[in-house]
Amino acid sequence: MKLSEVIKILNADVLYGEDHLNDEIEIGCASDLLSDVLAFAKTGNLLLTGLVNPQVIRTAEMVDIVAVCFVRGKMPPEATLKMAKEKDIPILYTQYTMYKSCGLLYEKGLPA
Amino acid sequence: MNVFELVEKLNFEIKAGKENLNNEITGGYASDLLSDVLANSGEGNLWITLQIHQNIVAIAELRNLAGIVIINNRQPDEDTIEKADRLGIPLLVSGLPAFELIGRLYSMGISGKVKDVQGD
Amino acid sequence: MEKDKKVTKIQEFIYELKVNQVMAKNIVVVDKDMSLKDIRTLLRDQRISGLPVIDDGKLIGLVSLEDFIQCLASGKKNCTVPEMMTKKVVTVFSDSPLVEALKKFDRFGYGRFPVINRETNEVVGMITKGDIVRGLLKKLEIDYLEEEIHTYRASHIFEDMTAQDFMLRFHYSIKGKDFKHAGECASDIKKTLKRLGVQPQIVRRVAIATYEAEMNIIIYADKGEIIAEVERDRLIITAKDEGPGIEDIEKAMQPGFSTASHWVREFGFGAGMGLPNIKNCSDGMNVKSVVGEGTVVEFCFKFNSKHIEGKDKDECI
Repeated sequence: MKLSEVIKILNADVLYGEDHLNDEIEIGCASDLLSDVLAFAKTGNLLLTGLVNPQVIRTAEMVDIVAVCFVRGKMPPEATLKMAKEKDIPILYTQYTMYKSCGLLYEKGLPA
Repeated sequence: MNVFELVEKLNFEIKAGKENLNNEITGGYASDLLSDVLANSGEGNLWITLQIHQNIVAIAELRNLAGIVIINNRQPDEDTIEKADRLGIPLLVSGLPAFELIGRLYSMGISGKVKDVQGD
Repeated sequence: MEKDKKVTKIQEFIYELKVNQVMAKNIVVVDKDMSLKDIRTLLRDQRISGLPVIDDGKLIGLVSLEDFIQCLASGKKNCTVPEMMTKKVVTVFSDSPLVEALKKFDRFGYGRFPVINRETNEVVGMITKGDIVRGLLKKLEIDYLEEEIHTYRASHIFEDMTAQDFMLRFHYSIKGKDFKHAGECASDIKKTLKRLGVQPQIVRRVAIATYEAEMNIIIYADKGEIIAEVERDRLIITAKDEGPGIEDIEKAMQPGFSTASHWVREFGFGAGMGLPNIKNCSDGMNVKSVVGEGTVVEFCFKFNSKHIEGKDKDECI
């Protein structure tokens, strides 16, 4: 699934990464615990999370996550956006809950 | 749909709260942040989380949740099981990761019926 | 043909770059009147095998841990620095091309050479094989960006270096509770390994495990350090801290066991997955801890064999 399609499904804003809209997302991963992401995430992921601190981007960098989507309408702080820019990892932002975001993406064919 | 029907369909392992498996589910809520669940989950929601600490039971009780599903085969602490039994909160374990479990629940019709945080 | 071209590139650089461009400049030296106790502390703290001995700014010898041990073994009560040091020291001049230093490494087999200013005869630095590789890497990176992304891979440094067992050593100081910079060490190691041409799957495992170790230091300790040692066929990471120590290591290795505070959990860490995850990602791991003193976590990665998750493995440490 292309990132642009994810954006459409989640009715999301792109906070960083307009150049990445054609990037391919292979699987979805939902977690509010970075320890969990570090232990279980595979490469090619879209990470859906309610955490917004800069360590989310660090973690994404370590496990080669393609893009991060902040759920529950939580706006990340400036430091997080800055790091996303630095690491060139696209950032989305949606008002939907974690549950609804995962449900919609899975329904449209994004595997886990 | 009630909790018991899901246990059968999705192969959940029942850890506690057997007597309340007929709790009716109003929707799903997924979060690993306890403060968030406390603030935003809805009554009768099925809560999907990877947290295993006994505080999850207290929150489920406070918010009148239908039950808790722990993902990735994580095993709840002893005190968590004990507390869930005492308070009659269905405590279940699934081998699926959060994204897939939610996806399946959603496709079975358990949606975020309850309003999203900032309106739907 | 390809290979020849790559070798040429390295050859070019080892003639072009000068010793003073890659050497360590902030070096620790020993004064000839220094006490044995102080030297021992120095050798231990700096964790280096040889220190240059200075008299009035001029190099008069090199003293190593071995000299020290030999002196003790000989039964002498108190030997002075000039007595136990090696007097015939091989040095390189700061304005020599790297190739001169490489030749000396090959010929003498030492790990490090003092660098001397040709005019003043003063010691201005130290140079190791690691410094040379790092210098070449840096040069290559620039080159790499500019033109030859496809024709040159830094990984060939491994093949092109004449030395048999070179080692790259990277050292990072980690400050406790410093969440702002958390992960910078792991990020840097990841970048370096990529540049060295290490397989992406291995790089990813190293990055994850190092990040976990780094977070552990930041969450639990006041300060610590992470050392990465890259060898030809393996990598060893050592994460040391002056933290509270682990009471029961076996318990700490169980997934889900955690002593992290509530705020750490809300931050997204402290789910009790750190040590188990390091174990899963690496090809061998070793934890030593003393309550009230600190913890040392060592883990390693093999570059050439298949990674087996979950297996008990301690082969590469």
